[in-house]
Amino acid sequence: MFKYALDLVFRRKLRTFLTSLGILIAVVLMSFILFGMSDLETLIVGQFSKQFKPNELYVGTQNFTSMMGSMATAPSKEKEVEDKVEVITEDILNDVKNVDGVESVEPMIVINGVDLYLEGDDVAYPVAYPAGTNFNGDSHIYKELLSGDDLILDKGEAYVSSFVAEFYDLSYEDIIGKNVVLKSVTPGNVFSFASKSMMNKEYRFKVVGVVDTSNDVLFVNLEDSLGIVVDLGGYEDAQDYIKTAGYYQLVVSTDIEKTSDIETLLTEDMKLSVISTKTLTGFVSMLTDSLTLALILFGAISALVASIGIINTMIMSIYEQTKEIGIIKAIGASNFQVMIIFLIQSAIIGLIGGVLGLGFTYLVMKVSDPFIVTLLSDQGFTTDAFFHFRFDYSLYITLASIFVGILAGLYPAYKASRLDPVKALRYE
Amino acid sequence: MKNYIEINNLRREYRPSKKVLVEALKGVNITIDEGEMISIVGSSGSGKSTLLNILGGLDWDYTGDIVVEGKNIKEYNENYYRRFIVGTIFQQFYLVPTLNVEENILLPLKFSRGMEKSVIKERLEKLLDAVGLQDRRKHMPKELSGGQAQRVAIARALIDSPKIVLADEPTGNLDSKTGESILNLLIDLNKEEKITTIVVTHDMKIAEKTQRIITLKDGLNV
Repeated sequence: MFKYALDLVFRRKLRTFLTSLGILIAVVLMSFILFGMSDLETLIVGQFSKQFKPNELYVGTQNFTSMMGSMATAPSKEKEVEDKVEVITEDILNDVKNVDGVESVEPMIVINGVDLYLEGDDVAYPVAYPAGTNFNGDSHIYKELLSGDDLILDKGEAYVSSFVAEFYDLSYEDIIGKNVVLKSVTPGNVFSFASKSMMNKEYRFKVVGVVDTSNDVLFVNLEDSLGIVVDLGGYEDAQDYIKTAGYYQLVVSTDIEKTSDIETLLTEDMKLSVISTKTLTGFVSMLTDSLTLALILFGAISALVASIGIINTMIMSIYEQTKEIGIIKAIGASNFQVMIIFLIQSAIIGLIGGVLGLGFTYLVMKVSDPFIVTLLSDQGFTTDAFFHFRFDYSLYITLASIFVGILAGLYPAYKASRLDPVKALRYE
Repeated sequence: MKNYIEINNLRREYRPSKKVLVEALKGVNITIDEGEMISIVGSSGSGKSTLLNILGGLDWDYTGDIVVEGKNIKEYNENYYRRFIVGTIFQQFYLVPTLNVEENILLPLKFSRGMEKSVIKERLEKLLDAVGLQDRRKHMPKELSGGQAQRVAIARALIDSPKIVLADEPTGNLDSKTGESILNLLIDLNKEEKITTIVVTHDMKIAEKTQRIITLKDGLNV
């Protein structure tokens, strides 16, 4: 009976192929979602875990977490403003240091309103937010020191990200020893709204290391960064700046056993905004999960369209095979056997679509993977391969294709099985 | 066995529309002995095909009784009856175009179980010999003449060793010479296999070659 059904499927090769294309498209979509999205999540989370430790907390003000918050909820005029600390002062820094289980606290400053130049080159590096920090060169916050062996940022020294060296067409080694210049972005002219203190300022730093931090392009030591923000902002001194504007962020290293409790304490008792590595990876997971869900929905819609294609083909087959159905019924095939013959046909169409789809996906993955890896490495993600063709997923996808085929074939199969053999034999 | 098939007061009505009632069979009574070869003749609309469809187990909406081997056919499983009690030969042959001669003959076995491979092979060889198609066994239906195609259909009808063979205008699509050879084949098989054979035809020359002629007129046997 299987051979007979197989014969019916391949009697109309072109139609079978065209019908299975619907399944093929759905399978390709689903395969890319399953093979690609899980890898994307693994890649991003893996990349995060290189730079962020699970025992670390990133403490800031309400503004610091607003970006993450705005992604989760829409802003509302009626919404109560959260009672959070707005400036991280020296006192707050000391309070955090004294929390039980806190091992170290490193403050960070971000310098706004400056452009980054390589000395002797008049093209500014696009969108740069230099940071001031006292982390050593071998700290994980830089992911990796790619060149240079100066582990301590002294006054007037800077680490640049690999992106900066690549932007100025320099190797990671050649940029060492060169100077980078931070220039205030508001030149003193009639159109400028900048305060006098911000006008035509330049700050020069010698590059002593290249780090693997992608878009975080420049690091100077904390003292230097404070000097710049005091100068640009017209503050009296560093204390005045910290009291008024505060630190941008505190990187709090904790005893891993107490990380969660400390996060609660900082958030609820000290009214600080805290992002933990768990929050970050959770956020990434949520993003990729949402994306996966949306893509699966598209895949499901295409599977539905494919099912309609199969139903259409099978109903057409019934009309074409009416007389043959009459013959096989006349020579002894039962209604159930006729139904099974049609279900086998639709299952085979599903199987063909599934196998072809997986084959096509495999080829596209193999061809496109090097390009995607290059694109990702341009964005700072290091990976040998993006797509990982998984045979267990392939099996599920093939089974799902057969299932869709059978599901789509149910009505036509039932219709075929109920044909009156006398009418079927007379059908022209 | 005397009265191997008993058809008693067989009636069949159709209602092509609400207002129209067609009485295809109005109370047919026929008895056929085991191994007998009879022909049913009649003009178009006399009820021949209706009677054959009922005897072939394709149409069960009748009143009256049909008894085969002492058992009312309504007591049989519908598919079992079509598989093992009757074998039908059609005027248009109805071969499956993508199956070769051998596969077409074996097609009924795809819907039944239990026959051993060696028995199947033996039966196939015997039938291929009987219908004279040993050298055509791998040919496709489109490579066969009308007479050869009908021989394949006869072999297919006999593969399950049915007890009754029903032939609906078996020579209707063939020239007179080929038609005669097909009828002779049916006569030979009837003698050899002792299968009760019912031939429906409108051709009196064909009918006269069978042991008995039953004439249907306006839904009644006369």
